[in-house]
Amino acid sequence: MLRAADVERLLAGVDSAEVAEERLGVVARVGRAAVADALAALRDAGFESLVDLLGIDTGEHVEVTYHLRSYASGQDLFVKTALPYDGELESVWQVYPSALMPERETAELFGLRLSEHPNPKRLLTTDGVPPLLRKDVPVRTPEEFTR
Amino acid sequence: MSDPRYEIYEAGLIGEGMHTPPVLPAGLRRAPGGVDGLRTEHLVVNMGPQHPSTHGVLRMIVELDGEEVVTAEASIGYLHRGIEKVAEHRRYDALGTLMDRGDYVAGIMGELAAALATEQLLEVEVPPKANWLRSLTSELNRIASHLVWFGTFGLDTGAMGQFLYAMRDREALLDILEAISGQRMMFNYVRPGGVVRDLPPGIDAKIREFVDTFENVYLPEHDALLGGNEIFQSRVKGIGVITREQALAFGLTGPNLRASGVKYDVRVDRPYAAYPELDFEVPVGEAGDAWDRYLVRMEEMRQAARMIRQCIDGMPEGPHMAKVPKLIKPPAGEVYAAVESARGETGVHLVSDGSEHPYRFRYRGPSLFALQALEEILPGHLLADVVMIIGSTDVMMGEIDR
Repeated sequence: MLRAADVERLLAGVDSAEVAEERLGVVARVGRAAVADALAALRDAGFESLVDLLGIDTGEHVEVTYHLRSYASGQDLFVKTALPYDGELESVWQVYPSALMPERETAELFGLRLSEHPNPKRLLTTDGVPPLLRKDVPVRTPEEFTR
Repeated sequence: MSDPRYEIYEAGLIGEGMHTPPVLPAGLRRAPGGVDGLRTEHLVVNMGPQHPSTHGVLRMIVELDGEEVVTAEASIGYLHRGIEKVAEHRRYDALGTLMDRGDYVAGIMGELAAALATEQLLEVEVPPKANWLRSLTSELNRIASHLVWFGTFGLDTGAMGQFLYAMRDREALLDILEAISGQRMMFNYVRPGGVVRDLPPGIDAKIREFVDTFENVYLPEHDALLGGNEIFQSRVKGIGVITREQALAFGLTGPNLRASGVKYDVRVDRPYAAYPELDFEVPVGEAGDAWDRYLVRMEEMRQAARMIRQCIDGMPEGPHMAKVPKLIKPPAGEVYAAVESARGETGVHLVSDGSEHPYRFRYRGPSLFALQALEEILPGHLLADVVMIIGSTDVMMGEIDR
């Protein structure tokens, strides 16, 4: 069973990393400048696969969650970081190539800018579609409701 | 030179200026000069979004050097319905309905993932009978889904007969699933707390009859018809190799991951429903090529048939639904639940703020990750192999675009 203390030890060299055991599992919260370092350290420590990458609009910022897995030990680990609205999502594809498409999707649906990505195009929607998963974007506009 | 093909040049119909090569789009490389100084260039081919072999509305932008793929890019979003956004405005018991429309060939597994996540939030204990019914319907649906893959994968290679037989068997399965759930594909059968209804009387015999015939007659027949075909074998063996390292780096799950030699199955490694009590084997491939993916899926159908028989034999008595409030308002929290769907790990990442609507609903579709691995493995293959490699990974556009 993965413990918070183990992950803390792995992230010893990373600035401002806070590890906690939550209902989701072991969650490491890192500053947005330290994400690439933290993920590289965790990959070298055996978390060889990025299972998922998602954003959550918390109302104050966009929280990006990296869902890592070690198939050798069967353990999951969640790394979270907070980005400001309209902030910059730095690609981690060189650490985890599986981040390529989810990053494009997250950047597009939360209105983030994508940097250091080999193909920073929109993935699901066309130009002009607002960042759909932000809480301030309604499912329908007032005009559509009254139509 | 009296070759009539050159008359057009001699007649002066093509002027000097007409020979200037067109300006290529940025990022496109020009091939070095070919034989005898003839000009060669890379050709960009758009496969899809309405190509019959792209399994839905996938558009592959393939750059070709002759017949060889140089780069491949998947362009998706043609089936985007905003399921994740819609879910934020639905109640928790409606999540299964949305999952049905994600992976629409294996709906039960998607519903189950959403139900498991909601139950984690609610901390509800599911009655044993519901767990067994969930496993039973999941495995029935897994065979139905693999049969669609089997039929269309054969079509991709140019074989025709197996598709009709696969659809015949899938039809029998859909009839059984319709008798159980009331619907053929959009089941809405698995709900938070259990399943919506018990097995109808007399269905046991029908399922048993189907499984016996399927396991002993139909499945060996299918395997002989396609897998025993030498032309099919020579076309799929050795193509689309995904190494173990690539599979892990690109986040593959399910049969695609196991064909690359990683023994990981959600049903075994983080068990749910009745799987801890069922006896089955997890097939693992070695080479990670299209042929291994074929073998793994065929074996999975065999194992699913075994499990269905065990589910019918060991079905416990009791209620099929736990006591769950009509209006589900789970306490605030964040959970992740995953199931082994026909294509891999279908996960639901659910965030609740204590209200009756999910705060954030994330649908992790395994096909999205299989698709981006294709961008890596397609270069170097022939154009004719591209459709087969796409087919061998069994991508489902419904859960890629969501």
